[in-house]
Amino acid sequence: MSEVTTREGGTMKDPEIDRILGAQEEVLPSSGFTSSVMEAVHREASAPPPIPFPWKRALPGIVVATFALVLAVVVGIAALLHAARGGISLNGATVPSSMPWLNWQGTASSTVGWTALALIIALVSVKLSMRLAAGRA
Amino acid sequence: MSVSDDQAAVERVLAGDISAFEEIVRRWQSPLINLAYRFCRDRGRAEEMAQEAFLRAYRALKQWRREAAFSTWLFALATNFYRSELRRIPVRTISIDDVREPVDPRATDGGLEDEDRDLAVRRAVFALPAKYRETLILFYFHEMDVPAAARSLGLPEGRVKARLFRGREILRTKLPQLLAVPRLREA
Repeated sequence: MSEVTTREGGTMKDPEIDRILGAQEEVLPSSGFTSSVMEAVHREASAPPPIPFPWKRALPGIVVATFALVLAVVVGIAALLHAARGGISLNGATVPSSMPWLNWQGTASSTVGWTALALIIALVSVKLSMRLAAGRA
Repeated sequence: MSVSDDQAAVERVLAGDISAFEEIVRRWQSPLINLAYRFCRDRGRAEEMAQEAFLRAYRALKQWRREAAFSTWLFALATNFYRSELRRIPVRTISIDDVREPVDPRATDGGLEDEDRDLAVRRAVFALPAKYRETLILFYFHEMDVPAAARSLGLPEGRVKARLFRGREILRTKLPQLLAVPRLREA
């Protein structure tokens, strides 16, 4: 099989592949291609810049959410550790005796209490976000 | 057109003269459309892909580092976009295992039409795994210039050579008669 020299300075076998794939048909741009691209470019240039993410406003919420998440994990781990040594029972879960505030509603009404707390938090977050959105508009 | 023409046009665009981008489009539309066409074999889609590549180039113009030629940067951007676009909506191809050489007995004695043979080889290239197909496309688009193909693909030259070797090897395995037997017509 013969060899052909290529630009890389070496030789490539398969001159048949080179001949076939090297000689491809040329496609000419359609007459309106340039204007079509330029229209798109002008549209792009005149479009308002993307709205940046409101880090200033979101930061307190992110900090609170992160803190709550970390707290929940810590409480969960502490409860598990406490359960292993025998602690206060709360509807099947355990609460460390060092955190009595977690048991504020008592064992009988614990489910109702937690549900109410979750609803209040949800309501506050919805109200807060609506207020922020209204303030922005 | 020279490298400095590209740079001057880019500087004007970055300074706010959007119409200067038209110079860039006119200069590079043909190569970008042809490159897209080699990826998709569809003229309409090739123009759409080239248009989007130009738009992306316009958006990213500030990111062009002047150490590399503008064309190198533009081809790398376009290649990257074409590859991802074709992974998103692939061209309808057949498996490499289903690619068959023409059964016409004249194929081995030079009687088969060149077009049929070329078509069989091109179909086989399209049926190659993406990494070999893309490397072969770029290599032949850049007129068998390995460094240029490597820059467009963002790969080391050694890897491009390895992929070329493997891609050709697969082609030879799948199309042994077409690619191994010298054509009598040329003898």
